[in-house]
Amino acid sequence: MSDERQAEKPNRPPGVCIPWQEKLKELPEIKGDRELVQRVWEDVDALGYVYIWHCLLSF
Amino acid sequence: MAHDMEQLYQERLKRYTIAMRNGKPDKVPIRPFVAEFTAKYAGYTCQEVTHDYQKAFDAACKCAADFDWDAVVGNMVYVWTGLTEAQGTNYYAVPGIELDPDVGFQYKEPSEARAYMQPEDYDALIDDPTGFLYNVWLPRVSNDVAPIGSPATFRNNLAFVKGGMAMMQYFSGFGEQAARLRAESGTVSAIAGILKAPFDILADKLRGFIGLTMDLLERPEKVLAACEALMPHLTWVALSGADPDKNVPISIWMHRGGVPFVSPAQFDRFYWATLKPIIEEIISRGHQVLFYAEGNWRPHLKAFAELPAGSIIYHVDQDDIFAVHEVLGDRFCLSGGIPNFLLSYGTPDQVREHCKKVIDGVARDGGYICDAGAIVQDDTSIENMQAMTNFVREYGVY
Repeated sequence: MSDERQAEKPNRPPGVCIPWQEKLKELPEIKGDRELVQRVWEDVDALGYVYIWHCLLSF
Repeated sequence: MAHDMEQLYQERLKRYTIAMRNGKPDKVPIRPFVAEFTAKYAGYTCQEVTHDYQKAFDAACKCAADFDWDAVVGNMVYVWTGLTEAQGTNYYAVPGIELDPDVGFQYKEPSEARAYMQPEDYDALIDDPTGFLYNVWLPRVSNDVAPIGSPATFRNNLAFVKGGMAMMQYFSGFGEQAARLRAESGTVSAIAGILKAPFDILADKLRGFIGLTMDLLERPEKVLAACEALMPHLTWVALSGADPDKNVPISIWMHRGGVPFVSPAQFDRFYWATLKPIIEEIISRGHQVLFYAEGNWRPHLKAFAELPAGSIIYHVDQDDIFAVHEVLGDRFCLSGGIPNFLLSYGTPDQVREHCKKVIDGVARDGGYICDAGAIVQDDTSIENMQAMTNFVREYGVY
């Protein structure tokens, strides 16, 4: 794989559509419980992941 | 009554799980994967059970209550076309729409030129499988989802909302259905979680079998890289749906790795090399895998025998179950082996005779679950299903 292609390759591991680190860059400084925000983001984001992979596997 | 049903459920669960671990339970378990057969038995059309999943659930429950089966799938007419129509899916022929109401749904595999993934798409899939599915694949398989870069539309936006909510509703229904089967008839839900081989994903829903066959010759490295890219995702999805109690197996529906679709060398290099690590990962988490090996797989049995004893249940479709038993019987539970054509077109006496041969030949030491070779559809004789059930219940006692 070329360096350019490697650099452009999204980091989207299993169970993830939009990684928390990517979302975090869009947010203002979190004033409250950061772990809560991260956990809920990741839980709901995983539903988007489940949806598309089940479209492929199950339907 | 409720106590009796729970007692019956526990007896059946014990029978089923002992057999799946290649042990000898009290009786040969019966676990038919009944699909459109349930519609025929319960008095529904194929359209009704395919398009209205509540009727499919009802039909499955009626069969489970009337037949002495240990385990069934909550709805083996698994593709709910209400969902696929809601999001504009274009690869199904739906009973009652394109098909007569009494014909089962069909998958319309496109021609090579119209495959949902083209040869030049390999790198995009390899680099970002989830992004590829959303950005490239879904707009191609949906008449409503707009391709990336084109204007968003009302139908596009609705496709995601309706598709997502329908999927949530449908999958939630399976939990309720499992509880209903347990309470109403003491029947075990046979499987939990879904897996397909990376190679089958490419063949079934992305490149199509013909396109993939050409790719095996023209760009084999891309095929292998694509299979490898799919592996962690398919593992994740399989484990996400697995039985937390680890009683019932994750099922893998095996298609294009069998005979005559690939050569033994292609099986080793592409199919098994990228499936075996997934199976090993699932096994390491304490789950069994049901190999639903559709068609013929006899040349590959020695590969499957590499897996730890008791780790899989091997389902026999068109292979000779006695030959399969010789290779795998000391390691794994077998299921199936009752030919569908016999259940459809044979006589009850012929069904009983074949069931006796199978029990005598492969079930003497346990490790066998009675089922048809393939999914039981609406061409199956009700009388023959009753003959199979009654005979196995009577003769299959240890």
